[in-house]
Amino acid sequence: MNHALKALKANKLKTILIYTSLVLAITSIFLITSISNGVISMYSSLLKSDGDIIITQAKISDTFFSNVDTKIIEKINKIKDITKTSALIVGASPVEDLPIVAVYGVSKNRITNYKLTSGTYPKNKEVLIGLSVYNSLKNKNQVKIGNEIFSISGVYKSKIGFENGGVVLNLKDASKIFNKSSSMILVNTKLNSNIENIVNQIAKLSNEIEVKSTQNFVDNYNQFKIIKTTSNVIALIAFCMGLLGIVSMMSITINQRKSEFGIKRALGISMKNIINQILLESSILGFVAFISSFFLANLILYIIKNLPSLHGYVSGEITTILSIQVFTASILMAIIGSIIPALNASKTDPVNLISGNRI
Amino acid sequence: MSSNILKTKNINHFYGKDQALNNINIEIKKGEFIAITGESGSGKTTLLSILSTLLKPTNGEVYFDNENFIDIKNLDDFRQKNIGFIFQFHYLINYLNIFENITISQKENSNIKVNELLKSLDISNLRNRYPDEISGGQKQRVAVARALINEPKVVFADEPTGNLDSKNSKNVFEIFKKLSQNGTTIIVATHDKELAQMASRIIEVKDGRVN
Repeated sequence: MNHALKALKANKLKTILIYTSLVLAITSIFLITSISNGVISMYSSLLKSDGDIIITQAKISDTFFSNVDTKIIEKINKIKDITKTSALIVGASPVEDLPIVAVYGVSKNRITNYKLTSGTYPKNKEVLIGLSVYNSLKNKNQVKIGNEIFSISGVYKSKIGFENGGVVLNLKDASKIFNKSSSMILVNTKLNSNIENIVNQIAKLSNEIEVKSTQNFVDNYNQFKIIKTTSNVIALIAFCMGLLGIVSMMSITINQRKSEFGIKRALGISMKNIINQILLESSILGFVAFISSFFLANLILYIIKNLPSLHGYVSGEITTILSIQVFTASILMAIIGSIIPALNASKTDPVNLISGNRI
Repeated sequence: MSSNILKTKNINHFYGKDQALNNINIEIKKGEFIAITGESGSGKTTLLSILSTLLKPTNGEVYFDNENFIDIKNLDDFRQKNIGFIFQFHYLINYLNIFENITISQKENSNIKVNELLKSLDISNLRNRYPDEISGGQKQRVAVARALINEPKVVFADEPTGNLDSKNSKNVFEIFKKLSQNGTTIIVATHDKELAQMASRIIEVKDGRVN
């Protein structure tokens, strides 16, 4: 350990370059994964906040394009064990100077889910504004959404970034803007009721709807799969970039230390010991780089989360599981990246040291 | 029982089609101080490499303490226990201090042994210093200490005085002489004929043959 630390200290420039390469790669993995998880988590929380069953338009993969006729609510309410049925429109629109803001049209029985910090719940032609959007508005009395002017009736605060950075309208007003009845219908059931049975009963009401339990919907939502796959691919690219950086820098370092490995081989130090020392050196770097990346990624996420221009839409959280996964990736990156250079070092032929050959 | 520590039988070595060694038969006794001399390209380096297990001969046999090199399963372990090396360039590891350099091949560091060695080589004051803080002559003494730390049966030295002035060169050979008197076999490759005279026997290599 002591020798490994001294070797790293002795090759300062290369150590710093390998460390930097690792930190960049690990921080990228942390950020892309935590941000995509954050997006999924925020939208999942939004859907799970009220409703055991979700009804969307059949054969539509994105809720933004879904259109479900709210007339079906009357039929749904007749089914046993249903306690509440609400409608929701999810859309996005420019609001004043802000290029894109999440717009929620909600039925009256759902609007009280939004916790007011000031004002009242909106009537027709009125809007409830999320706190982070409200803070960036110049005119605090009214806003233009699409081509319509709405009076601001109140301000709400939500832990979910997508909601905090959005505006809430009555379903009727949102319906006019987005030209649809509703994006989805959310159904609450009695405690311990048979959800699957209710899902089947609702599904029989129309061929134009798709009915799923909220958990099933969240688990199988295509957009989440796309986000997750994209983030995994980008994280893999970051991993490979980091790996290439380590391989190239370690190769240069090892090449410059060939005399050291040659003399070790001549003195009877085994190939295994030489490989172990190099892997230990890179593992130390991997560990230190992970710790640095953890703090750096948290700092960047904090800055992003609090950037007024993003209204809290981008919010990543580094969980314990993610930390363990990234820690494993960091150590793997360091070890895999130095295996080939370590093998080359261990094969240094000490014969080359004889007769003054500097290797 | 033979008192030979090293013995070669009909050693030949080729680099591609070029023959570097031609039918070498030598015997080296325990505690001998051997100087291998010869011009550049004579085959002296190849012979030293083969005798020290670093290079396998194309054909022929080498015996170390009556054991055929071919039968040695773990050469690393064998070298660690039986052989010490001193090179023309000291090859001390710059990021390790003198104590760490000397004990690098040891599985368990022995403070007493290191102190004894440092004292016998008159470099006790260098123990905690780094290679770039000491002179060339001192570095070569440290390299000698490193070669001796495991109490090897044979010490191989390749042009050990190549980078030293005449005073330091003579000192190094005096150390070798003392070591051989204490029972360690010393085999030194050198082109310095004057220093070679300090050895108990000279093996001259010319055109791949021993004269």
